Amino acid sequence: MFSFIARSLIQKVITLFFVAVISFLIIHLAPGDPSQVDPLNPKFTPEMVERFRSQFHLDEPLHVQFALFYKDLFTGKTVSWKDNRPVLDKIWERFLNSLPLFIVGTLLTWTLSFPVGVASAIRRGGLYDRTATFLSYLLISIPGFFFAYVMIIFVVTRFHVPVIGMETFGLNASSWLHAAMDRVWHLLLPSILGATGGIAVLSRYVRSQMLEVEGQDYVRTAKAKGLPEDQVHYRHALRNALLPFVTMFGLVLPGLIGGSVIIESIFSWPGMGRMAYEAILARDYPVILTVNFLSAVLVLVGTFISDLLYLVVDPRIRL
Amino acid sequence: MTSKRILIFAPLALTLFLLQSYLWVPSYEEQTRGNPHRLEEYIDGSIGDASLLNPVLSADSASSQIEGLVFEGLLDRDENLHFRGRLAKSWEINETAYFYVNPRARVPGLGAAEGDRLAEFIREAVRKGASGETSLARSLSNIRAVSVVPPRTLQKNFREKDPKDPKKTLVVRVRAKAPARIRLDLKTVDQDLFTNLGILLGKEYFSSFRAADYVAVTGPVPAERFSYYARKILPAVEHNPVLVFHLRPGVRFHDGHLFDAGDVKFTYEAIMNPANLSPRIADYEPVKSVEVVDPLTVRITYKRLYSPALGTWSMGILPEHLLNEKALAAEARARGLDPRKFSLRESRFNRHPVGCGPFVFREWESDQYILLDRFEDYWEGPPNYGRYVYRIIPDLLTQEMEFYAGTIDSYNVQPHQVRRLKADPRFQSFSGLSFGYTYIGYNMRRKPFDDPRVRRALGMAIDVDKIIRYVLHGQGERITGPFPKQTDYYNHNVTPLPYDPEGALKLLARAGWRRNAQGWLEKDGKRLRFTLITNSGNDLRKAVLAIAQDSWKKIGVDVRTDLLEWSVFLQERVDKGDFDALILGWMMGIEPDLYQIWHSSQSGPHQLNFVAFGNREADDLIAKIRREYDFDRQVAYCRRLHEIIAREQPYTFLYVGKWTAVLDKRIVIKRVDEAGRVHYEKIRPTKTGNYTFYFNRWIKLPEAPGFAMDG
Amino acid sequence: MNDEREKAILGVSDREVLPPAEGRLRSFWRLFRKNRMAMAGLAVFGLFLATALVGLVLTSGTDPLMDPATVRLQEKLRPPLSKPNLAMLRPKEVPALGVYLFGTDDLGRDVFARMLQGAWVSLTVGFVAVGISVIVGIFLGGIAGYYGPRPVRADRVGASVLLTLGAALLFTGSGVTGGAILVAGHLFLFWDLLWGRVPLLREKMPWVRVLRVPLFSVDTLLMRLVDIMLCFPSFFLILTVVALLPASIYNIMIVIGLTSWMGTARFVRAEFLSLREQDFVTAARALGVGDLRIIFRHMIPNAVAPVLVSATIGIATAILTEAGLSFLGFGVPPPHATWGNILSDGKRFIFDAPWLTFVPGVAILVVVLSFNLFGEGLRDTLNPRLKERH
Repeated sequence: MFSFIARSLIQKVITLFFVAVISFLIIHLAPGDPSQVDPLNPKFTPEMVERFRSQFHLDEPLHVQFALFYKDLFTGKTVSWKDNRPVLDKIWERFLNSLPLFIVGTLLTWTLSFPVGVASAIRRGGLYDRTATFLSYLLISIPGFFFAYVMIIFVVTRFHVPVIGMETFGLNASSWLHAAMDRVWHLLLPSILGATGGIAVLSRYVRSQMLEVEGQDYVRTAKAKGLPEDQVHYRHALRNALLPFVTMFGLVLPGLIGGSVIIESIFSWPGMGRMAYEAILARDYPVILTVNFLSAVLVLVGTFISDLLYLVVDPRIRL
Repeated sequence: MTSKRILIFAPLALTLFLLQSYLWVPSYEEQTRGNPHRLEEYIDGSIGDASLLNPVLSADSASSQIEGLVFEGLLDRDENLHFRGRLAKSWEINETAYFYVNPRARVPGLGAAEGDRLAEFIREAVRKGASGETSLARSLSNIRAVSVVPPRTLQKNFREKDPKDPKKTLVVRVRAKAPARIRLDLKTVDQDLFTNLGILLGKEYFSSFRAADYVAVTGPVPAERFSYYARKILPAVEHNPVLVFHLRPGVRFHDGHLFDAGDVKFTYEAIMNPANLSPRIADYEPVKSVEVVDPLTVRITYKRLYSPALGTWSMGILPEHLLNEKALAAEARARGLDPRKFSLRESRFNRHPVGCGPFVFREWESDQYILLDRFEDYWEGPPNYGRYVYRIIPDLLTQEMEFYAGTIDSYNVQPHQVRRLKADPRFQSFSGLSFGYTYIGYNMRRKPFDDPRVRRALGMAIDVDKIIRYVLHGQGERITGPFPKQTDYYNHNVTPLPYDPEGALKLLARAGWRRNAQGWLEKDGKRLRFTLITNSGNDLRKAVLAIAQDSWKKIGVDVRTDLLEWSVFLQERVDKGDFDALILGWMMGIEPDLYQIWHSSQSGPHQLNFVAFGNREADDLIAKIRREYDFDRQVAYCRRLHEIIAREQPYTFLYVGKWTAVLDKRIVIKRVDEAGRVHYEKIRPTKTGNYTFYFNRWIKLPEAPGFAMDG
Repeated sequence: MNDEREKAILGVSDREVLPPAEGRLRSFWRLFRKNRMAMAGLAVFGLFLATALVGLVLTSGTDPLMDPATVRLQEKLRPPLSKPNLAMLRPKEVPALGVYLFGTDDLGRDVFARMLQGAWVSLTVGFVAVGISVIVGIFLGGIAGYYGPRPVRADRVGASVLLTLGAALLFTGSGVTGGAILVAGHLFLFWDLLWGRVPLLREKMPWVRVLRVPLFSVDTLLMRLVDIMLCFPSFFLILTVVALLPASIYNIMIVIGLTSWMGTARFVRAEFLSLREQDFVTAARALGVGDLRIIFRHMIPNAVAPVLVSATIGIATAILTEAGLSFLGFGVPPPHATWGNILSDGKRFIFDAPWLTFVPGVAILVVVLSFNLFGEGLRDTLNPRLKERH
C-alpha cells in the first residue's frame, strides 16, 4: 500500500516535470511575441522592444527562462505581463468565479445521469431507452455556441430577463436571498450548457455498467428467487454498478480549473477559461504556463485519488 | 426503495430549485424603465477589459477610454481639432538656437571672428534688417536676443556594442573642450534659421565646423566612430524649441491634493524611467529638460525641432504625491515587497487610479465592469451623469441584445446593424469618419510591383465604391492618401483611382503584361501571379481579400490568398518583408508625422515602411513636416506629400471606415445658462466627427424630448 | 509464403479460416440492422458522404459548376429560395440551380454552394484528424501492449536523450552546441554497440555494465507519455497550438489528431495485453512467426472493434471541435469553407439573416448526431458481453 503510494507519487512528479517542460517548449518555440511588444505601433522603437524582451527575460537562453519561470512560480512571485498582477491572485479570483458554475454543472451531470442511465438499462431496447439514447446524443451533437445562442435568444425574447453575466447588472437587491437567487438564475443556462456533454456521456456509461452487472449470475439468481424487480435493480445491481463511479470522483477534479472558453465568452462569465484564452491571445506566457501547470497538477492529483479510491472500494485489488 | 427515491428526487429537487430562481430575477423592464437610478448612469458596453489604468503604462484602447475620464492632460483638441487648454491655461512656444563659433570660416565683411564680435555682428544685422533677401529678413526679425556662451568642457559616455563579443557593451568616454557658442533667442520656431544665416555668415560657416578638433576619446576608436562622437557631442548647430505651459490654478486631484507643476515634471520622469517600460517613451525622447519655473509654470526644452511635441502633452497627468519614490517605498513595505525592486508598474495605483479628470475611479471587477463616479470638484464643473460604467461583454451578439433591452447605453455597433437600428424610433444614430484607413500594400522590392503602372492598374481593377457600398454597408469613404480626411493636411484635390478594368489592362499592356490564350496576364512567358495576405480575425479585411482576388482574377491576374494569425503575419511576413501584397490598415494620428511609415530610411526589417517606398522629394517633405511648427506651411508640405504618394501608388488606398454609434433617443445634452435656465440640445457630432465631445454634458431623460429640428 | 507455412503448421486452411470470419460479419450485420437508430445514422452518414463527394466534384476545379467563392455584393443576405436578380448579374455569376437554395451570405456568396464545399472539407478534417489519432494510438498502444514488459536500458535512454537534445538545440538555433551534442550522441551509440560486440572491451571495462541496467519497461514509458498528454486540457492544448501556429487546414487536422490518440492507445494496449496471452498468439510465436506479422496479421484485426467505435465518435467530435475553433476565429481559414466557419461567420447576422446560422448549425447537428448514433450502434453490436443475450 505505502510502496504503491510512494511509487505513484514519484511517477506523478516525473510526469509533472515533463508536462512543465513540454508546455514551456510549445509556448516558447511558437512564433510570436507578447502583445506588449507591438511591432506595428509606430511609437515602438526597436530599443523599446529590446527593453521589453529583456524585462521579460525573453533574451535569455530557453533553459534559463525555464528555471527563472518555475523559480518564480514556486515562490509565488509570477506576475502577468499584461497587467503586472500576481498570477496566482488572478487565477484565484477567476477560480472563485468559475467554481459555482463547476459545482452546479457537476451536480446536474451526476444527479441527472444516474436516473436516466439506470432507467434506460432497466428498459433496455424499449421506447424510453431509445428516446434517452437519442436525446443524450442530440445534446452532445449540437455545436455548443449555436445551442447557447438559440437558448439565449429564446429566453431573452420569451421571458425578458437577463441571462448573461454572473448577476443582474446593477441589481440593488433588497436582501441577500434575492441576490443569491439572482445569481442562481444566472448560473442556470451556462451550467446546463456545460453539463449536456457530461450528462450524455455519463448516462451512457451508467447504462452500460448496469447492463453488465445485470447480466451477472447473482443478479439473475436474485431475479430467479422472485425478489421484487425494484429491489433487484436498485439494491443488488445498482450498488455494484456504482463501484466504478466512486473512483470517478477523482477525475472530476481537473474540471475545477478548466472552463469552457466558448460558454464563458458568450455568457460574459469572467471565469478561468476566458482568462486563459485571453492570455493565449496576448501571449501572456506566465498566465498560460501557470494555468497549465495547475491543471496538470489537478489531473495528476485526480488520478491519484481515483487510484486510491479504487483500492479502497474494490477489495479484489491488492497492491 | 430509498435509492430509487433518491435517484428520482435529487434531480427533481435540483431542477426545481434552479428554475424557481427565475421568479427572483428582475425583468429588463424593471431594470430600465422602472429604475430611476438608471437615468443617472451611462453604461458603455465593451468587448475587452482594460489592462492598467495608468496613462503612463498602457496604450490599449480599453484602458485609454477609462484613463480619458479619470485623468486630465495639459491640453486637448477642440471641435475643430485645434489645441485647447485643459490643465494648462495657456502656453507659448519659442526657440533657443545655438551654433559654435567657427574660427576656420571667413564671415563676409568680418573675416575670422571671435564670439563677441560675431554676436555684435549679428545684433547689428538684426537691428538693420536685411535688404533684398526676404527669407533672411524673416529669420533676422525673428531673433529676440543674441548672446555668447563662453567655452566650457563637456564629457559624455557612449555605450557601444563590443565588436568582438556582441553581448558585451563597451563604454566610450568622450571629452570635449567646447569653443564659444552663440545663443540666439527666437520669438517663434524657425527651422530655416541656419540656412538663412548662412546668407549672412557665408555658406560654409556651419558645415566647415570641425568638431573633431575639440574632442578627445579614451581608448582606441576607429576614425569614423570618432567623428560620429564628435558630431554628437558638439553639433555645429542646435535648435532647442521651448514650450512654456501656464497651469490652471486651483485644480485638485480626486483626493483633494492641489495639482501643480511638480506633477507635470513627475509624469514626464515616470515615462522616461526605463524601469516603467512606458509605451509612450518615444513621444518624449526629444525632450531635453522639464523645469518647474514656479508652481504654475513649466518650461519644456526640446533637443531638436519636433513639431508633434505639443500634442503629446494631452497625456493624463499623474499625482506625484501618491507615486513618488517615498510613496512607492511605503507601499512596497506595506505589502512586504522589496522597496528597491518595486516600480510604478507594480503599484496598486494602476488598479485604483487617482487623476484630476471629470470622473473618480470607484471599482473594478476584472472582466466584468469598471465603475466611475462623477467628480464634484471638477474644475470645469461636474458632469451631468452621476456614474459611468464600463461593462465588459465579450460577445457581440449578447452585447447587441443587452443594448436592445436597454441595459447598456452604447455598444460596438456593426455596420450591418446600423441600417436596421436607424429605422427604430427609439434610437438616434451617428456616424463619422474614423482615423483608420485600409489599404493594399505592394512589396516594391519585388517584381512586378516595382513598376508604378502595375500598382496603379491593380488599384484600378478594384471597384472600391462597391466595397464601400456592400461590405461596409455605406459606412466608409474613399481615401487617396495617408492623412486623416477630416484634417487640413488631407489634399482634397487628389482624385481617387477610377474603377476601370479596361484602363487597367491598357496600363498593364504598356508595362508589358498581355493576356494569353487562357486569359491570364503574361510577360516574357511568365504569368502575373502573386499571393495576397492579411491577418485572420478581421472580417472586413477578409471580405476585401475575397473581393480583390475576384476582381483581379477578372483581368487575368492569378492571385492566391492567405490568412495568417496576427503575430505570425507580423513576425514572419511583414517584419521580414516576405510578402507580395497585403491588406492592412493604419490608425492615423492627428499629427502629420509620417516618418516611420513613409521615409525611405525606415524600410529595413522590423520597420514600418515595409513596402519599401522611397522617393527623394517625399523623404525631404517628411523630414520638413516634422520640423515645421507653423501650421500653414505644414499643411502645404503635407498636401504636396499627399500628391506624391497618390501618384506613386505604393498602396492602393481603399477606404476610411466610418465609426457608427447608436444611442437611446432619450440621451441629450443638458446645459444650464447663467440665469439657471436649463436647455436641452440634441447630440450632434462635431465637425471632426466626435459625438462624445460634450460627454460631460450628457444626460438621459425619462422621455425622449421632441426637438423642433427633430425630423 | 510465410502465410502458407503458418497455416499448414497450425493445421488450418483458407477454407476453414474464412467461413467463421464471414459469419462474424454477417451476424454483426444481422444484429446491427435491428438497431434502427444506428441504421438511420448509417443512412445519414451515407448521404453525407455522397453529398461531400458530389460537392467536391461540383465546387472544385478552375471553373466549377457551382462556385462557392463567387462574390455578388449586390445580392448579399438574400433569404433562402429567393430568385437571383438576373439583371444585375453576369451569366457566370448566376447560381447553377437558378435559385439561392439556402440564401446568400454577407458577401453574396451562395450558401448552398458553400455548404456543399464545406461538407467535403469538414469530412476531410474529421477523417484525417481521426486517421492520425487512430494510427498513432494503434501504433503506440500496440507497442505498449505487445512489447510492454521489455526493459529500456540506461544506455539507450542516454543515447536518445543526447540525440533529441542535440536535434532540439540545433533546431532552436544554438547550432554549435547542438551539433556537438548530436555528434557525441552518435559516438556514444557507436561505442556502446562496440562494447556489446567486442569481448575484449567488455573485459577491460566491466563498469560499463552499469549503463546497461534496465531502467523501466517500454510499457511504463509509453503509458507515462499517455499520462503526460492527458495532463493538458485538450481543447486548450489545441487552442494554444492553433493560436500560436500559422492557421491552415493541415495544422488543424494534425493538432486535433495528435491530441486525441490517448484513448485509442489505452484500449489497444489493454486489448493487446489480453490477446498476447491467448493461445493462437502463443502458437504463432512458437512457430517463429515474426513480431510484426503477429501484430498486424493476428492481433490488430482482433483489437480493431473498439477502435472503430471510438473513431466514429471521434469524427463527430473533430467536426464539433473545428466548429468551436471557428467560433474563436481559429478554424480552417478561407478559401476553404467548412460548416464550422460558415456557422461562426453567420452568427453575426443572426437577427438579419438567421439562415446563415441555422442552415450550417442544423447540418452539423444532423451529421454529428448520425455519426454518434452509428458509433453507438457499432458499440452495442460489437460488445461481446451483450451479444450473447440476443
